[in-house]
Amino acid sequence: MHISRIRIQNFRNFRDLDVALGEDAVIVGENKIGKSNLLHALRLILDPSLPDSGRQLREEDFWDELPRPLGKDDVITMSVEFADFEGDEKHLAVLGEFLVTAEPMVARLTYVFGAFEAEEDPVTESDYEFFIYGGDKEDLRISSEFRRRLPFDLLPALRDAEGDLSNWRKSPLRPLLDDVSSKIDRTALDAIAEQISEATEGVTDTPEIKALAGEITTRLTDMVGGAHALEMTLGFSPTEADRLLRSLRLFIDGGKRGVADASLGSANLLYLTLKALELEQLVKKGKRDHTFLAIEEPEAHLHPHLQRLVYRDFLRRRDHQAGADKKEPPRPATSIFMTTHSPHIVSVSPLKSLVLLRKSSDASTEAVSAVGLELEDAERGDLERYLDVTRGEMLFAKGVLLVEGEAETYIVPALAKLLGYELDQLGLTVCSVGGTNFTPYVKLLGHAGLNIPFAVLTDFDPKETGKNLGEDRVLGLLPHLVSTKSTKGKTRIELLALAKATGLFLNDYTLEVDLFRCGRHKSICKTITELTEVQISKQRAEGWVNDPSTLEGKRFLADIEEIGKGRFAQRLAGNMAGNRCPAYIKEAIEYVIGQIG
Amino acid sequence: MSSAKSVDLRQPFRIAAEELRENEEQWQAYESKGHCVVLAGPGSGKTKTLTTKLARMLAEDAAPPRGIACITFNSECAGELKRRLERLGVRESHYIFIGTIHAFCLKHVVLPYARLAGLDISDQVAVALPSEQEGIFEETFPEVYGSNTPPSGWRTAFDKYRRTHLDRGASAWLGDDADMAKLIEAYESRLRKRGLVDFDDMVLIGLRLIESHGWIRRCLHARFPILAVDEYQDLGLPLHRIVLALCFSAGVRLFAVGDPDQSIYGFAGAKPELLTDLSNLKGIEKVQLRFNYRTGQTIIDASEVALGETRGYKASTDRIGTIDFYKCPEGIAEQAERICTSIIPKALKRRDKRELGDVAVLYLDRNDGDVIEAAVRKSGMKFIRMDKGGPYAKTPLTRWIEDCAAWCAGGWKKNSPRLSSVIRTWEGFNASLRTESALYDLKLGLVRFLFSHRLPQSLASAWLTDMQSQLLKAAFKKETVLRDETVAFSGLLRACSAEGKLKDLTLAALGGQAGARDQLNLITLHSAKGLEFDVVIMMGMEQGRIPSWAAKTLESKREPRRLFYVGITRSRHEVHFTFSGFNLSPRGYRFDNGPSEFLIEVAKRLKQGN
Repeated sequence: MHISRIRIQNFRNFRDLDVALGEDAVIVGENKIGKSNLLHALRLILDPSLPDSGRQLREEDFWDELPRPLGKDDVITMSVEFADFEGDEKHLAVLGEFLVTAEPMVARLTYVFGAFEAEEDPVTESDYEFFIYGGDKEDLRISSEFRRRLPFDLLPALRDAEGDLSNWRKSPLRPLLDDVSSKIDRTALDAIAEQISEATEGVTDTPEIKALAGEITTRLTDMVGGAHALEMTLGFSPTEADRLLRSLRLFIDGGKRGVADASLGSANLLYLTLKALELEQLVKKGKRDHTFLAIEEPEAHLHPHLQRLVYRDFLRRRDHQAGADKKEPPRPATSIFMTTHSPHIVSVSPLKSLVLLRKSSDASTEAVSAVGLELEDAERGDLERYLDVTRGEMLFAKGVLLVEGEAETYIVPALAKLLGYELDQLGLTVCSVGGTNFTPYVKLLGHAGLNIPFAVLTDFDPKETGKNLGEDRVLGLLPHLVSTKSTKGKTRIELLALAKATGLFLNDYTLEVDLFRCGRHKSICKTITELTEVQISKQRAEGWVNDPSTLEGKRFLADIEEIGKGRFAQRLAGNMAGNRCPAYIKEAIEYVIGQIG
Repeated sequence: MSSAKSVDLRQPFRIAAEELRENEEQWQAYESKGHCVVLAGPGSGKTKTLTTKLARMLAEDAAPPRGIACITFNSECAGELKRRLERLGVRESHYIFIGTIHAFCLKHVVLPYARLAGLDISDQVAVALPSEQEGIFEETFPEVYGSNTPPSGWRTAFDKYRRTHLDRGASAWLGDDADMAKLIEAYESRLRKRGLVDFDDMVLIGLRLIESHGWIRRCLHARFPILAVDEYQDLGLPLHRIVLALCFSAGVRLFAVGDPDQSIYGFAGAKPELLTDLSNLKGIEKVQLRFNYRTGQTIIDASEVALGETRGYKASTDRIGTIDFYKCPEGIAEQAERICTSIIPKALKRRDKRELGDVAVLYLDRNDGDVIEAAVRKSGMKFIRMDKGGPYAKTPLTRWIEDCAAWCAGGWKKNSPRLSSVIRTWEGFNASLRTESALYDLKLGLVRFLFSHRLPQSLASAWLTDMQSQLLKAAFKKETVLRDETVAFSGLLRACSAEGKLKDLTLAALGGQAGARDQLNLITLHSAKGLEFDVVIMMGMEQGRIPSWAAKTLESKREPRRLFYVGITRSRHEVHFTFSGFNLSPRGYRFDNGPSEFLIEVAKRLKQGN
C-alpha cells in the first residue's frame, strides 16, 4: 500500500496542490515553500496520535492569498489517495468502503475545515470545524475511533533527537529493550541484579560515601522536615531485576561519553537507527501493518557524506531486497516521507520518490513528481546516476538549459553574462547530458514529469553527404513534448519550426564553429594560440583570424580536439568580451527565461 | 469438564460455551472452522448456539478491522440477537452488522458501491413509502392487465415473482409469466423516475452488484470474512444467491442456522429446499441439532405427525406435555369466548406462578385476531397483540424507540439497554450529519431527552409527542433514508393516542420492561416463529383454513403443515386447539368441512399413544 496522490486546497501555502506519489516521497523545495505544511496536512488526515484539538485549524491556516474576510463557502480541503492495498485484507477492510476507483482500487480520505453549520456571512472563528470522510461522498464520515484503525503512524520530525534519546519514556531504545527483556531468563537476571547490588554496596559502604549520603539526608530533613523527607540512597542503578534493563543507557565513543555529549549529528544518526529497528520489529511481530514515517529535514547536522550514506540505505534498501528474489518482491512495510533541501539526499533518492515543491504563478505552492513518467529501466538508471553525480542540481533549478557537453557548460553561462543575464540569479542551470541522448532528460523535465522549463541546445552536425544529424535528433525529441495531434500532417520544415517554438534549438554547425562565425573569431584564435602546443595549429589560427572566410571547419575542430574541447572552452569563456552570440544560444536562454515568467 | 478451569472469564462467551459442550451437536457447531450449516428444530438451542459462536468468531476469527455480518429475518430478530450478544460481552460496533438483508444490502453494498459500479442511483437513496409503492403499483397495473382487472390481490404474486425470478436476462423471466414480468419492469422504472427504491429493490440491486463485480465481493470479503445467517429457510432466493456468490466464489465463511420445517413464507418467495440443498453442498459441515429443550415429548411426537415427517427430536426435559381439543360449534366467536372464560383461567391455575405472559393465543389471520382481541378486552385481561393488525409496525426506528422507552423506564439503572448503543443507533439514523459539532448536538439532544423523561409510569403518548418534537422532527426532515420510518412512527403515535388501541400504554410497557409478564400474547401463527410459551392456544383450526381450501395436493399442503407445526412447537407444556367444524368464506358462505385434517391426525396419534 502507498499514498498515490495528495491534494490540498486553500491551506497555508497551497491554493490547489495536486501531486501523484510513489511508495516514498522525498519532498524537495526551498525554505518556506511549505514542506512542513505538506507533512502537517498528512498528519491532519492520518496521524492517530494527533488529538482532535490539534485537528482544529485556525483562520490563519487558510491560504494566505484568499481574500479576507473569509466567507462560509471558503473551505480547506485535503485528501490523500491510497493505492496498491488490495492484496492486504486488513487494509481492504478499512479502505474498501472509501473507494473512488474500483479497478484498480483507489481509496480516498478527505479532511475538510470550514464553517459548515454557519447560516450566513460573516463567520467567526468559532463557526469553523473539521470533519474527515472517506470516498467521494461527504456523509461517509470517519470517526476518531475508526481513524485509529488506519494503519498509519506519522512519526514526528527529528527535532530533538538528543532530548528524546536521554528521556526514557520517549527513547526509541525503550521498546527495543522491552522486547529483549521478555526473552531473558529471569533467574539469570536476578543473579545479575544481586551482583550489581553487592558491587554497589561495596562502593556506597565506603566511609566517605556513607558520610556524604548522611549529609544529604540531614540537609533534606532540615529543609522540608521529617514528614516530607525522601528516603535517599546512592547507587548506579535500581537493583530490582525488573528495572535493571531499563536503566541501560547508550554510550558513545567506546563508553567514554553519554549520548548527551554526542554531537547533534551522531544523536540524529542514532535516533534514526533505533527508530528504523523499532518499526521493523513492530511489522515483524504483526502489531502494525504499515507505517508512514515522516522525517523533517533529515540532513540536520549530518555531514554530507553521511547524509548520502544513510539515506541511500534508507530509501533504496527495498530495491535491493526486491532484487534478491525477483519472484516475490517484499512489500515495503514502511513508507517514508522526507522533507529536505539537501542536494545530498535528493541526489541519492530514487526518481519516482521525488516531489518538487515550488512557487506557481499565483504565489501559491505547487508540487510535481516524476511518478507518472514513462521511462525505460535503463533510462531511469541513467537519470538517477546523473542526478547522483550532479548532486541533483537540475532539480533545484527554475529553468534548465540542456547541452551536449562540458564545453557548453563553460560557454553558455559566460555568453549569458555578456548578454546581461546572470543565470544563477535567474535560477537557470546549464546541464550537460554528455552526448546527444536528450530523451530521458526531456521526459523528466517535460509536462508529464517535473514540468521544469527547459531548452535543448544541440549541434546541427552536418555530414559530407549534405545530410545532417541535428534535425533528426530534434524531430525525435518533439513527440515527447507535443501532442500527436499538433504534429499530424505537418511538413518537415513546419515540424522543425514547431520544435524551435517548443524549446529545441539547433545551431548551424557545431558550437565552436558557430561561435567563430558569429564574430568571435578573434578570441577563439587567441585561445587556440594560447593553449595549443602544435606549431601548425598556431599558424592556422593566425590565418583564420586574418581572413575568417578561410575557416576549414574540420581542421578547426581537430585543432580544438587536440587541446581538449573542455579545456578550450574553459579558457575561451574568460577571453570573450562584447555581446556577440550565436543566435541559437541567445534564443534558448531567452526562451527559458520567458517560460519561467 | 476438565477444561472448565481454564475458561477465560474476561470473555463471557467462553462461559456460555461450556453449556454447549454437553450437547454434542451444539459443540460441533461451536467448534466448526469452515462453512457450517446448523439445522435446528424447535427448542433446540438455536439462538444460543448462534450467539455463542458469533461471539467466538468475533474474538478469534474476525478481529477488527474486519468483522462479521449477521443477516436476520426482521428487525425484531436483529434486536433479540443484539440483546443476547451483549450479554455475551459483544457490543455493537462498526465491525459487526446485525440486521435484515435489506439493511445489509443498502448499507454495505448499494450505498458504498452502486455509483462506483456505474448504477444510476442518486446519492441520497430514498425509500418509497408504502403508500407510494401502492400508488405506483396501482398506476402501473392497468398498463399491463387493463383497467377491468382490479389490482388488489395481485401484489403478493407480484412480490413473489420478483423475488424468485432473479435473472432478468433468462428465458424464464418473460417465459414464466410475461405480463407479470412486464408489470414489474414498468413498476420499477416508475419508481426510479421518482428517485425511489423499495425494499425489494435494495436486495435485488445489492445482489446484482455482488454477482457482477469481483471487486465488490473482494471488498465485502475483506470487511466481513464471515457471513452468518439466521432463519435461513425464510430468507428466500435473493439471500441464497448472495450467500452462494460470497461464500462459494469470494472466500467468505458461512455460518447459517435454520430449519426447513419452519419455512412458512412460501407465499413471499421462501423455499425450504434452499436450506436443505445448501446443507448438502460439498464443503459444508452440516450439523443437525437433535434435542428439544422446550417441548414435552408428547407434543414433539404430535408435531412430527402434523408435519408428516419423522425427525426423531428428543425432549431433553422431563416435560410430558398435554394436547387438548375444544369443539365450539357456534363459530369463531365462541372459540374466543371459551378461550377467555375457560381455557386460559384453568391453564393459569394449573401451574404455580404461571402468568398471562406465559400464554399465547395463535390465530391464522387478523380477522381472527380482531375476534380474540374483542373477547380478551371484554374479559378485562391485559394483552399485547403482534401481527400486521398489531398496534404498530416493528421497524428499526420503532425498535429503537422501544429501547429508549426501556431505558427511560428504569433501564438506566441497570445500563440495559446500554446508553451507548442507543446513542449509536441514533447516530446511524442521522447519517447525513458530518461535523463533530452537529454530532455532538445530536447526542446531547438525545441524552437530554432521555434523562428528562425517566418516568416509567407516564403514558407513552406524552413521551412520544415530546420525542417527536425534540428529536424526530428534525431527523425526518434531514434524512431521506428515514422516509419510510415517518409512517411507522405516525402509526406508533396513533396507536398510543387517546383514540388508539394502546391509549393506556405506559412507558414501561412500551419498553417491554415491565408488564410483559402480565400481558396475554395475541399473535398470528406467522409472527409466532421464534417465540415460546408455557401454554399455546391455537384457534380457528378448520379444514379449508389450515390447509386452505385451495391446497389440495400433498405438495401444496406442505407449507400449511409447517405453519401448523410451528404453532404447536411454540409450547412448553400445553397445547389447546379450538375449532368449530366449519368456516365462512369472505362473502359469508358457510363450508362444513370439519376440523383441520392436521388436528385429526394429531388426535389419532394421541389415541394410538394411549
